[in-house]
Amino acid sequence: MTRRELLSLLFSLGAREFGRVLPAQDTKPKSDPVFQVKSPKGVDFVLRNSPTSRKYLIETMPGGVALLDYNNDGLLDVFFVNGGNVRDTMATPINFDRRNPAYWNRLYRQNPDGTFTDVTEQAGLAHAGDANYGMGVAVGDYDNDGFPDIYVTNFGKNILYHNNGDGTFTDVTAKAGVAAGGWSVSAGFFDYDNDGRLDLFVTRYLDWSVEKSKTCGSERATYCPPGTFPAITNVLYHNRGDGTFEDVSIASGIAAKKGHGLGVAFADYDGDGFTDIFVANDATDQFLFHNNGNGTFTECGLDAGAGLSESGRMPSGMGVVFQDYDNDGLPDLLVTQLPHDPYVIFHNDGRGLFSAQELEAGFGVLSGSVSGWGVGLEDFDNDGWKDAFIVQGHVFDNVETYDDSLRYREPPLLALNRAGRFERANPGSDLPVAGRGAAFGDLNNDGWMDVVTTSLGEAPQFYFNRRGQFHWLTITLHGKRSNRDGFGARVQVNGQTRFATAAGSYLSSNDKRLHFGLGSAETADIEIRWPSGIRQVLRGVKADQFIVIEESVQP
Amino acid sequence: MIHALLWMCLLLPPQSAEPSVPGDALPLLQSGIDAENRGAFDEAVAAFRKAAELAPNTAIVFLRLGDAYMKEHDYAAAIPPLKHAAELSPDSPAVHQLLGYALLAAGYAADAVSHLKMINDPAALGIAQLQAGQAAEAVANLQAALAKSPDDPDLLFYLSRAATALAGQSLDRLRAVDPNSARGHQALGQTDYEMKKLPEAAKEYEQALAMRPDLPGLRLELGQVFAAGSEWAKAEEQFRGEAKLQPGSAEAAYRLGNALLQQGKMKEAAEELKRSDSLSPGMPETLYALGKAAAISEPDAAAHALERVIELEKDTPLAGQAYLVLAQIHRRQGKAEQAARDTENYRKIQALTAHPPS
Repeated sequence: MTRRELLSLLFSLGAREFGRVLPAQDTKPKSDPVFQVKSPKGVDFVLRNSPTSRKYLIETMPGGVALLDYNNDGLLDVFFVNGGNVRDTMATPINFDRRNPAYWNRLYRQNPDGTFTDVTEQAGLAHAGDANYGMGVAVGDYDNDGFPDIYVTNFGKNILYHNNGDGTFTDVTAKAGVAAGGWSVSAGFFDYDNDGRLDLFVTRYLDWSVEKSKTCGSERATYCPPGTFPAITNVLYHNRGDGTFEDVSIASGIAAKKGHGLGVAFADYDGDGFTDIFVANDATDQFLFHNNGNGTFTECGLDAGAGLSESGRMPSGMGVVFQDYDNDGLPDLLVTQLPHDPYVIFHNDGRGLFSAQELEAGFGVLSGSVSGWGVGLEDFDNDGWKDAFIVQGHVFDNVETYDDSLRYREPPLLALNRAGRFERANPGSDLPVAGRGAAFGDLNNDGWMDVVTTSLGEAPQFYFNRRGQFHWLTITLHGKRSNRDGFGARVQVNGQTRFATAAGSYLSSNDKRLHFGLGSAETADIEIRWPSGIRQVLRGVKADQFIVIEESVQP
Repeated sequence: MIHALLWMCLLLPPQSAEPSVPGDALPLLQSGIDAENRGAFDEAVAAFRKAAELAPNTAIVFLRLGDAYMKEHDYAAAIPPLKHAAELSPDSPAVHQLLGYALLAAGYAADAVSHLKMINDPAALGIAQLQAGQAAEAVANLQAALAKSPDDPDLLFYLSRAATALAGQSLDRLRAVDPNSARGHQALGQTDYEMKKLPEAAKEYEQALAMRPDLPGLRLELGQVFAAGSEWAKAEEQFRGEAKLQPGSAEAAYRLGNALLQQGKMKEAAEELKRSDSLSPGMPETLYALGKAAAISEPDAAAHALERVIELEKDTPLAGQAYLVLAQIHRRQGKAEQAARDTENYRKIQALTAHPPS
């Protein structure tokens, strides 16, 4: 008798087996809240996704949030990507009503008193194109002028806003040649060829259009699974250094693989000095694009052990973060996904190999029945171990009518890292939302990491860290030979490692500053390996401060 | 099954209790039979209808008409002439057999039962009883039919259906007669579980356990409720209780091992899964879980377990998953070529069993 036969026999006796995992019941942590959830004065953004009875798939996928200091005043500002106006019947040409202020993307400038001012219009960011339904945002100083630029992804055409340095932005998409097209999702700036200029990677989800849209479900209409629509390639743009980019998707090998790309994150996982790319794919193998160092990439997710979850199944990958969670100096991957299996941890075993270890890391207990999107690995309690924060909510806005054990709106997951194993903690809010984007940064410059999240049809949530006793250090990199943002640098502080990037999460862009919790240590030793190859060491740096480290000119 | 039985029956010449056919109807009857033999059922029906008008009291004519309709698969149309034949010839087994089949095929299972009881065809009777909600009787008749044809796939299928229906009816009865007994709470818990109402299910099982803490299976089911909600620590507690109660249960040991595995307690999980494997060797899921649990601490034992999964499962998705874990073990052991072969084998199985993105 096989197991299945045994189960079949037991079926009639009541010991039934379900093919899917159902939600956790005991999800309320008993610890003190790590965050205080507040709505800062001046932020009146609402993510308008415009759900319809036609269940256009784009409706359930936005929207991104970025934490950036666009005016270099030392305070983080917040940029939100809005969806658009979708109606049951969409006439051609498609119009998402993005000229209507209700559907604008929004930039909020932080004031010294912690309030925010909507500067969208004066910054020149008010109109996002009527044919564009908003998705995500990437931030990076692509022209090395010291001011962060903004790239907005859309279903439609993407937009690159150049930061003019005077509080305004200019749409330079046409000149730069980075509109992409189709359905772009997450994006990120990184320097894949170490030429000191930030390149741009864009994930694309599906070969989908309003005209090709389908509705799934039998009794009740739902959004169709990704396999309903053809897979599509991601896009890689090489920065020429003259304000234009070249689409090198085919030449680089990126376009050799079609998938259902959603999240993207960057790190040099094999220590060869070149930044690699991980794409979280929905319901297909995950993509790990190894940077060959010659302008080309080889997709090796499955062969490197980073293609499938510990269960051996294809994750419905949504968001991803590429950082070192167990302080072994190697970047690991945390991929969020839909209910069926736990969120996936691909542990970097060294020698260019990964192994799925979400169960060992504790995610079998923390997830498996929830839907994760935006994700970060940040040291929220400054104890020297990166913790996980995940914003959650199911894809289907009517999932409860299908499955009473699943929820469209879910509270976020905060999991504190206890020496490589994650344990549920109190995020400070159990308010369920249809969470999507999440960006991480120190909003109030107190040395403790905060979070801003987005949720469909609602105002964003601001999670302000309540702080504690431990020490910290926050580093701003200033590249000279390397790109100005220092993206791609490996920074090690007192045995911890961070890979400099603003990318990761889902649709979102994080504070580019590198934050380290130092525990009880009052000083820090810092070692930086810049993308240029320059190694720089600082010893005995005092804790509890923000420092700027300029790339040394000597190797 | 129904069609096969009907076809077999109709291959036999219908028997009539009334031999006499009026002379003017005989040519029509013969014409109808000839048309039937040619497969021209429309013509046969037309001829038999005319014969029936001329011989309204002759059962064989109506039997032939019903037979022709059934050969056209128009079971509803066959019922009136066959009912008339039964009135004219109430003791004819052939009439009752054909009428029973027609009623069953047309969805009137309860009406079919009384006719099928008059003939010796436990298979058809069992199927009719199953569809009429008489599960216990259906089980008895289908078992009797299977005694004659033990490997008949249709009979095996209907017997499994009937047994499931009987189990459901028994549970319904239990819920009705004593909902506050331990078994009643267990049954309610099962219902809640099936409806994915996990907190309610857990409450029912806990009430059952409070009444009869030593009832085998209760903790296993409660553990599965917790497991379904990813509450693995609680699931572990229940599975541990079940394993203590039933140390010889491979199922309890497997469940406990899996709960430990989900919590990342790999060594403990491996021990429990080995115990399950020793109690009931050759369970692929147990071996797969063992392979995962022991992958780091006992790679050789893990590889052996996974190889057994592949041997048992051949090219199923579980075998594919086993190849992947095996690849991970081989990569860690520095056996790159073997890992590459494992991954390639996974890809081959995936190509067979999945639908990759277009």
